Amino acid sequence: MFKAPWVCSRFFVPFARVGLSQPLLLQRRSLKTDVGLSPGLLARARSLGAEHSKLSAHLANAFDAKAAKRVGELAPIASTLKEWEHANKSILELMSLLHDPDTENELRTLALEELETSKATLPVITDNLTKALVPRHPFADLPCLLEIRPGAGGDEAGLFAFELLKMYVTFCSHRGFRYTLLKQEVVDGPAEDRLSEAILEVEADGAYDILRTESGVHRVQRVPATEAKGRTHTSAVSVMVLPSFPDAESGLDSSLNYEDPNSDYYVDPQEVRTEKMRAGGAGGQHVNKTESAIRLTHIPTGTVVSMQDSRSQHANRKKAWQILRAKLAEARQEAREQEMVELRRGVMGGVSRMGRGDKIRTYNYGQSRCTDHRSGLTVHNLDDVLDGGKSLQNIMDSVRTWLVDHEIAAMAAEESAKNKEWLRAQQR
Amino acid sequence: MPRIPTRVILDAYRHDRLLPLLLRECRSINSAKNELRWLRERAVSIAHSKSTNRAATLLKSMCRARSRGVPLQYILSDQPFGELDILCKRGVLIPRADTETFTSHAASLISRDILKIGRPRDETPTAPLRIIDLCTGTGCISLLLHALLAPRVQQMSIVGVDISATAINLARRNLIHNVQRGSLSDRAMTDITFRPENVLQDVSRSSVAMESQQLNVVISNPPYISTESFTDGTTTRSVRIPEDIFYYHILSLSFNLKAGLVVLECGDRLQGRRVAALCNTLAQKYSRMDGLHVTVWPPANQGLDGSPPEDIEPCIVILHRTGSN
Repeated sequence: MFKAPWVCSRFFVPFARVGLSQPLLLQRRSLKTDVGLSPGLLARARSLGAEHSKLSAHLANAFDAKAAKRVGELAPIASTLKEWEHANKSILELMSLLHDPDTENELRTLALEELETSKATLPVITDNLTKALVPRHPFADLPCLLEIRPGAGGDEAGLFAFELLKMYVTFCSHRGFRYTLLKQEVVDGPAEDRLSEAILEVEADGAYDILRTESGVHRVQRVPATEAKGRTHTSAVSVMVLPSFPDAESGLDSSLNYEDPNSDYYVDPQEVRTEKMRAGGAGGQHVNKTESAIRLTHIPTGTVVSMQDSRSQHANRKKAWQILRAKLAEARQEAREQEMVELRRGVMGGVSRMGRGDKIRTYNYGQSRCTDHRSGLTVHNLDDVLDGGKSLQNIMDSVRTWLVDHEIAAMAAEESAKNKEWLRAQQR
Repeated sequence: MPRIPTRVILDAYRHDRLLPLLLRECRSINSAKNELRWLRERAVSIAHSKSTNRAATLLKSMCRARSRGVPLQYILSDQPFGELDILCKRGVLIPRADTETFTSHAASLISRDILKIGRPRDETPTAPLRIIDLCTGTGCISLLLHALLAPRVQQMSIVGVDISATAINLARRNLIHNVQRGSLSDRAMTDITFRPENVLQDVSRSSVAMESQQLNVVISNPPYISTESFTDGTTTRSVRIPEDIFYYHILSLSFNLKAGLVVLECGDRLQGRRVAALCNTLAQKYSRMDGLHVTVWPPANQGLDGSPPEDIEPCIVILHRTGSN
């Protein structure tokens, strides 16, 4: 554990104040989206807008749950597109007014002012439009499971995994999310603070979207409590964010209903082997056993989930199923994303993608800094980050912006590549 | 019983001072750790103030009791059973996870074969479903069956029978306890009744049978340990002679009452086969062989976890009559 002598704690006070009063030292290298809208994206927005108006007209006559859902999804795109077109139109009108030699002087100055404000708002609207165009993640509305496992680094990794767990727990309580610790396993030994695995369930809807920035390998650099000679170690903890599916009865959405065999996330019970872990020997009424552990194995993928936290075998089985489903759904989604990346690589050359195997963030205790390697944001207030406070929120926000930027860039490239191909086909 | 290595005891002591006490009964450090956690959670919730001293004393006395061989369920005075919470008391058998699996299998059989769920509407019977649970003990089977079947059945009545007054009182308390917890619907209070009767004397002449004219299901998890092996201290060892006397009486009773489905839990597969043979003999005696199917579940080639079940595992014998219902 990080222990500072009392002299040091006073020494840090002014620094902490600086950190709070000034805006955080931000070092950003983000992908800039260009102010103008690429023709590919505009075409896409127009086609989606047309679909929206068509579906709304259809809904006015008869109610259809599926269409209503789609309209809800498209509404922000349609409204921002309208705004964008309105702004463009007004700029054009003003321009023509200015170029008209008959315009009075008084009117001309007014038009000039108007033009300036319109031009100032246009980039904002354009930006909103591109953001609205990014498709929502299929799991965005779901609650999530957060799995934490120590990686390389032995005991120290286990210690840090415990601290990360605490960080996410406090983060959830700051944000007012309800959470339950589904599973917490510690390494055998004298202390209780070396995690070997933990799964935190965050029950708020949309928690997946908020926490999905956290998937990946978190690296820690510090002098561990277990180190006698004061050397800095580097260890890693992997965090995985999995979608948590709602109960089949409550879920109206068929694509996320895991009991529907047509759903993408359906798990066939025939493919899952259930094992009750026994101490061996005779069973029945002859012995009183308290073991309630359950292990599920998904045979085609070899995914294994074991659960022993509750006294009730029933509850253990339920939780194990929940985790198994989440893991398989995430794996399937990941495979699909990978396919997309391959496709895009075909049209536009190398596209980087951050998978769960990549190092995403470094916590450096010596410099009291936390750097996210995707957005490039560095925060010099490690204590607040580990406290699940505002700084962690800032980092997560920066990553979300990065994810959106990335998605837009990829989408624009894809559309333009499509356009080029279309043109080539036309020329022939 | 093999001796626990000193190394393991030392490891346990390093982990927690109370762990070696639990190790005596649990035999493995992993399950001892689990039990310690459950005991600690309970001790803290009972002490429920911040007085850590009280919780610590309580936990220590709980661990001592456990090291003397008192079952965990008696110390905590309850055991989860499906979605239910079953209170446990000295003198009544503790519900086991196997029985939980068997009960849910029985419930799915009932809804498939008797209620005919999933078939066309006009075929569904309008007569109330009547179930009798012999040697009910804590009442766990009756209560879980009600919890599983209540959403699908309009009318049903479940009668739990046990010879012991302690068991009947406990079963009634469990009924009230689970209705209060919300894990059973309110109608369970009228649908389920518990009565003291002796299964070994002819129950069919007593009040239960008189009322149960149209009986659908007989289910039972009778005590299958003989008094000899109970007293000579071999109950937790692997060799003993299971007792079959209950099965004879229960089967005669269910043939008399013309039950459509009989589900009996047996201690191991050998006993299961014996009971299945007994079924066939009795069926001949009562000349009710028509449409009778006797099966042992889980089937021999596929156990609950996909691998073939071992002979020492408990199983159920299912008597199923087609066409008579």
